[in-house]
Amino acid sequence: MPKVLIIDDSAVMRKIIQRNIQQSGLLVDEFVEAGDGREGLEKATTNNIDLILCDWNMPNMTGIDFVKALRGSGQKSNIPIVMVTTEGGESKIEEAKNSGANGYLTKPFTPDQLKSKLGNFLLVK
Amino acid sequence: MTIEGIMESVALDITSSTKTLFETMIMLDLQTDNAFFEDDTQIKTDVIGMVSFTGKYHGVIALFCSKKFALKVASTMLMTDLTEFNNDVKDAVGEVSNMIAGNVKTKLTAQYGEMHLSIPIVIAGEGLSITAVNNHPVVADTTLSCFSKDPWLMTPFNSNGEKFDVGLLLKESSK
Repeated sequence: MPKVLIIDDSAVMRKIIQRNIQQSGLLVDEFVEAGDGREGLEKATTNNIDLILCDWNMPNMTGIDFVKALRGSGQKSNIPIVMVTTEGGESKIEEAKNSGANGYLTKPFTPDQLKSKLGNFLLVK
Repeated sequence: MTIEGIMESVALDITSSTKTLFETMIMLDLQTDNAFFEDDTQIKTDVIGMVSFTGKYHGVIALFCSKKFALKVASTMLMTDLTEFNNDVKDAVGEVSNMIAGNVKTKLTAQYGEMHLSIPIVIAGEGLSITAVNNHPVVADTTLSCFSKDPWLMTPFNSNGEKFDVGLLLKESSK
């Protein structure tokens, strides 16, 4: 069963995302959390992560820098990444995709919107 | 357009962003009223959650609310009954401010070009007031410089009898 890494500097947001996924019926075995891109990079490369959800604006290492760093690392560089961020607009979505993100969800989101976005990467019960 | 006109337009974006947030992630009833300019010395609050932005225009978007309302919002977001003003409550206020500011920033970017958001800052106390230091030089791109003598454009909201405001300070950046 999949292991999902949630990278967000807000512990509250990490809990909300986790709860929404658990209630949505999407199959996840384990959640791993990180508070910024740097911690996320360490956890992404040392755990068997199947999907990464990543905020954009974070201290130490931003989400977009995390995406570039992971994609350029050669280690686990093909793990799907979905950006979950308040950063909206076509230019940001384009920048994320060009950097290697596989999906994009703007906050605030409904549980259905999250399920729909993650349904491309996770199985449903 | 004058800076006041732009601020009034941004206040409409604040109203729409806050409504969307309450409909999607907070799930509390929300009423809104017309925005008004308020001198900083008149602002009294327990909690401030603020996000600054820079670009062609720079400024601050800030949530002003009571501790009681902050507890209620955090409890709803986390689906638990919080009674103590702890880090989760501060974190929730920061995220609420961040989501309102993020959506407003997206709209501003579409009109005025690329802008950058800060990470949210939350200040909590009892009956906080905001006062700028006299003759403090206005530096273009720092959060604290936005606490100038200029009035805030406050958008008032009411959620199940609890009032809160989302304030805006906006200035044109020097070229």
